[in-house]
Formats: sequence, structure tokens, C-alpha cells
Amino acid sequence: MTHPSSTAAAVRGPGDPTAVLEVDDLHVRFRTDSGLVRAVNGLSYTVGAGETLAILGESGSGKSVSAQAIMGILDMPPAEITTGRIWFEGRNLLDLPAEEQRKVRGPGISMIFQDALSSLNPVYSVGYQIGEMFRAHRGTSKKEARTLAVELMERVRIPAAAERVNDYPHQFSGGMRQRVMIAMAIALDPKILIADEPTTALDVTVQAQVMDLLKDLQRETGMGLVLITHDLGVVNEVADKVAVMYAGKAVETGTIDDVFSRPAHPYTEGLMSSVPQVEAKGGRLRPIVGQPPNLARIPDGCSFHPRCSHRRLGTAARPGAECSIDVPPLRPVLPGREAACHYSEEVLGGRG
Amino acid sequence: MAAADTNGEVVPTTDAEVEKAGQAPLGTGAHEHAGSTSEPLLQLRGLKKHFPLTQGILFKKTIGHVRAVDGVDLTLGRGETLGLVGESGCGKSTVSKLLVALEKPTDGQILYKGRDVTKMTGRQLKQYRREVQIIFQDPYASLNPRMTVGDIVAEGWAVHADIAPRKGRLKRTQELLDRVGLNPDYVNRYPHQFSGGQRQRIGIARALALQPEVIVCDEPVSALDVSVQAQVVNLLEDLQDDFGLAYLFIAHDLSVVRHISDRVAVMYLGSIVEEGTDLDVYGRPSHPYTQALLSSVPLHEPHLRGQKERILLQGDVPSPANPPSGCRFRTRCWKAQDICATEPPPLIDRGQGHPSACHFAEAREVVPVEQ
Repeated sequence: MTHPSSTAAAVRGPGDPTAVLEVDDLHVRFRTDSGLVRAVNGLSYTVGAGETLAILGESGSGKSVSAQAIMGILDMPPAEITTGRIWFEGRNLLDLPAEEQRKVRGPGISMIFQDALSSLNPVYSVGYQIGEMFRAHRGTSKKEARTLAVELMERVRIPAAAERVNDYPHQFSGGMRQRVMIAMAIALDPKILIADEPTTALDVTVQAQVMDLLKDLQRETGMGLVLITHDLGVVNEVADKVAVMYAGKAVETGTIDDVFSRPAHPYTEGLMSSVPQVEAKGGRLRPIVGQPPNLARIPDGCSFHPRCSHRRLGTAARPGAECSIDVPPLRPVLPGREAACHYSEEVLGGRG
Repeated sequence: MAAADTNGEVVPTTDAEVEKAGQAPLGTGAHEHAGSTSEPLLQLRGLKKHFPLTQGILFKKTIGHVRAVDGVDLTLGRGETLGLVGESGCGKSTVSKLLVALEKPTDGQILYKGRDVTKMTGRQLKQYRREVQIIFQDPYASLNPRMTVGDIVAEGWAVHADIAPRKGRLKRTQELLDRVGLNPDYVNRYPHQFSGGQRQRIGIARALALQPEVIVCDEPVSALDVSVQAQVVNLLEDLQDDFGLAYLFIAHDLSVVRHISDRVAVMYLGSIVEEGTDLDVYGRPSHPYTQALLSSVPLHEPHLRGQKERILLQGDVPSPANPPSGCRFRTRCWKAQDICATEPPPLIDRGQGHPSACHFAEAREVVPVEQ
């Protein structure tokens, strides 16, 4: 695992020279019958070449929506990107016309999804679907596309690739389907691969195989990996840096080692102490109280304050840092670390 | 934690365990179970469930069997939590369905308080079904969307009217909701008005309503968010202490199973491959499958990263319709020899301290011990 010094979470400032993909102040909301759902509320991050950024969050934290915004696969309407910039290779994708966006994203950024069975087309053979990438973007002939598909299937370690190229998705196991999807995603040597919960539906032994494959492919190609997951273990084992998301915002960023050994945000701290570990039976779990917020009714002030054990309300709070009124900005708390909490220093001290 | 012999710093864990044992409602349960002479509450003996594979539409012809559960032996004592782990398709959910008499076993016995459940009928079966309850994985599919929460929780009393007199039922329902951490005023709400974690609590209240002795928990926290998962796990632990419940806790998440279980059984392709206390199975796994399973679990602590041995299994789980001869695991096992193809290894202790179904069982530390 590499930890280049550039992984220090320099998540601000458009035009970070080392970044391949830079998301800046992204806002996404949905107009629904039950009101305005604010799914992403000012998310910023950068991913460099060969780097793995984990976006950690629970369901409804906006992690998948932010990825879909980058890929341009949000249904608009109901979704709309109100503000924000997505820098890729020096251009803001959101400024480009749709057709132009497609040409940039197609070979440059690709994505794999959680549910491989519903992401693959059941009526086309996997070889046809993998080869489609070459036919659509490079104008390769059908025959040649098939040959390239077999090569890709071998690269993602599908056994007997030449015989299975004409098989259909339902004939593959869950892990193998995920490999087919990975083959499609890396077909055009993308600079960035976004993996949205790639192993959540898989068993642990298969999960380990797929994560190993992703890491190996990343080493070979030097692509940047954005790993969206809720699994702290997976994050710890494969990522270089992490952005913890809550209610559509990054509440903490930094390298894995820093964030996991000394969380600076009460939410991160709560997550860590609510998960049992396989290496020890452990004492009683200390869960975070309450439920994740409804994105149509995000609490005022810090969105985490109703569940927070460090919150300060009323007169107990520092002026300008009342948790139910003042929104905490994502600010540097330690070198290379940022957290969106008025009282991060307390959280850091409490665990040290 | 018995690992204290190598490491004195695990004291807090020990405290927590001692505390839990002290609160256990019956001294004979849980922790001293292995050495206890008291009769186990529930015993599975050579339990099998084969589903027929048919061909043809009008004239159905059986062309084979899916051996979903193929010879499972398990014991569950009073007030004890037995964890059952395994990957998808290994038959763990079929075991749960057999246990609550939703499926009839093909062969084998389920002994509850010494009586064979498969032979029970009428009043006996009704009583068994009251005492052995189940909580399902999917809190969205397991609650009737057209019934209020109060009706869902109280539904069991329509059959078992003796538990709650008709008059005090509303009050009882509200007490149950309160006990599982829901607002008692919500009795008239419908399931869709609740979040996943709250729905799972409703499912737990429904199980508790019939005052069971055993609750089969079939992946009860798998569908929940991490922060909510811990709340439900803690609730299950509290209820066990209060009511002396025994749990069969089925899950694929090895960390959760270790946390909640007194003993753990590992299942592969329809049979148990290893069984023991959490320290036996997690600290000294002796079956190659358990070792591979444990080595695949990602660890949460940065300083432990890369310290664990990686055992990557080749290939996929074979089809239960056509399992390998001899040892089921031999097709993916790095230790496999000729004997493995001919003789199925029995689940016995071969000197490693706990039963393991491998001819070449050998205890080995896979997961680094927490400092």
C-alpha cells in the first residue's frame, strides 16, 4: 500500500496540480413530492493518480449521489446540481455540453456498481457488453472487439475466458459478474475508477478476491480509485485517504491512519466504536443514538448535533459555536486533517 | 478473554464478559455449557433438508436434489447465544426455517426439551411454535404494510390467547414497544412510517410478545446501517439478560457473530465444519475454510493492516445439487489429499481443543490478537 505525501488531504482550491479528479463545493438536490431533498451539500475532494480515496458513509449520506453527479448519470429532473465544479483533466465537466461531457467521461472516468446483475444487460453476452466499449469509443470491428473482450476477461482473472465470452450474465456467479463489470470499466484505461459499494453484495472470501483485483489493476494502470463504501474494514485495508460523509457533507478528511487511529469528528468516533471487530470479542458496543437524518429535513446548525455526545447547546457553547445554530465549516484541525466540528480538539483529546 | 495468558492488557474485555455472565439468568446456561450436565434446550441431530430439482411442466420428473442442509448437528443451551456463520448458499437460512417448523426436514431430528419436533402435531406443535420465535433479515418485507404496529405485535395473541388477556392487550403492546426502545404512542402507526432500525425493533417486539425461550435471529442486523446495527445488537443482548432468552444468531458478518455469541459454528455447503467458543473459532481456527474466511475479513485498526495472513480461496462454492464427494471443501482446499475425496471428515476434536471437520485439522492463528 502506498502513502505518497501528496495524500495529505488538501481538499480545497480549484486546480490542485497533482489531482486528476477534483470535486469542488458540489451541491445536488432533488425536487420530490415530499419537499426538497438536499442530497449533497458542498462536497469537495481530490483524487490523484494511483491514489485511493474512500468515501465512507451510511445510507442516505449522499455518497452515491455525488458519484452519480460526477458520472453524469443523475436523472435530471428530479435531480439538479445547483452549484459546484467537477474538474477533470483541467476542465470543469459541468461547463461542457452533454455530448462533450460524454466524450470526456467515456474513456476517462468509469464506474462500477454494487449490484452487478442489474447493471449488466441480461439479453447480451458478456463478451458483447465488454466489447461495446471498444466499438462505441474506438470504432473497433465486432470481431476484434470480441478478441479484446477475451483479453480483458483474462486480465480480471475470469477462468476459461475464451469459452465464457459468449455466456450471459446469469450464467456467472456474483463475484464473476463483478469482474465482468470491472472488465468493462477498465476497458478504455480510465484515469479514474469510481467503485460504488463494489463488494457489499459479495461474501467475504469473494470480497477479498475482488478488492485484491482492484488494487492490482490500480498498480498496473496508475488509475485513481474512488471507493464508496460503508465498511470501515474495507476502507482501512485498501484506501490511502478517506472522506467521511454525513448528511451530504464531508465531516472529516485525512489519511486512513490518522482518521482511524484518532478521529476528529464525533460521527467518525461514533462509527468506530459502534462496529464490533473480528480480532476481539470486545465489550458492549457504544452505538450512536438516534437515526441518520432525513435529507428533506436536515437539522439546523451542525447536521449531526441531535445525535452527538460532544454537542454544546445554549450557554455551554463558545460564542459562534452553538451546535444547533452555527454550521461548523470543514476546517484544518491537524496537519493534513480537516473536520467539520466546533469542538474537534475535544474529540481528539478525548481519545488520545 | 482467555487470550489474557499471552497478553495482560485485555482486562476490560474480561470484565465485560464476567459482568455478562453474572447477569445471565440461569447459571447452567451459556458459559459453562460445554461442561454442564443439564439438558440442552434445543438439539439438532443429523438434520437434513433436500429440495427436489424437477424438470417438465405437466409431468414433473425429479432429476436431482439440492442438498441445502446435509447433516447438521447443533446444540443450544438455555440463555445461550449460538452463532452460525457461513457464506450465502451454505444453508444457514434453511436451518432457521427448519427450526421454526416452516420447513419439514428430509431426515434427522430436532429435539426441543428432549422431544422430537418433526413428530409434533396439534397442541404440542402450537406450543413449540410459541416458544421458538424468529426475527427475519429484511425489516421491510417481514412486516405487513397494511397492519398497524400494534396489530403486528399483538397478532400472535390471536392464536395464543392465554398469554395476554383480551382486556390488557393494548397496554401489553405498549409495554413491549417501550421495552424495545420505541415510543409506545406509535401503536397506531404503519410500518412504512418507521426507519429500518425501528422496523427491526418492531419485529423483535412481535417475537417477544409470545414469551419465547428461543429466538432464531436470521441475519437480524445485516440490512441495517452501521450506527443502527449496534443499537439493535445491544438491544438483543439486554433482552437476553432480562428474559433469559437463547439465541441462534445466524449471520454472514463474522465480527458481529463473534461479538454476540457464546459459541460459534461455521457452516459450509450444508454442514458444520467447525464449532467452538468464540476464542476457539476466531483465535485458534483449525478448519482450512474457517481460516480462509477469517483471513478475508478486513480489519479496522490501521496498525493491524497487513499483519494478517492472507489465504485467498480459489474458485467458487460448488453447487449444493452436486456436492463434491468426501469432504465438501476439498475442491478449494490447499491441504486436500486422496483421503479427502473418499472419506467425509467427521466433526470431532483431533487434538486442537474443539470439534473440526477436517482430516488435517490444525489450530493456527489467522487474525492478529488485539494489543
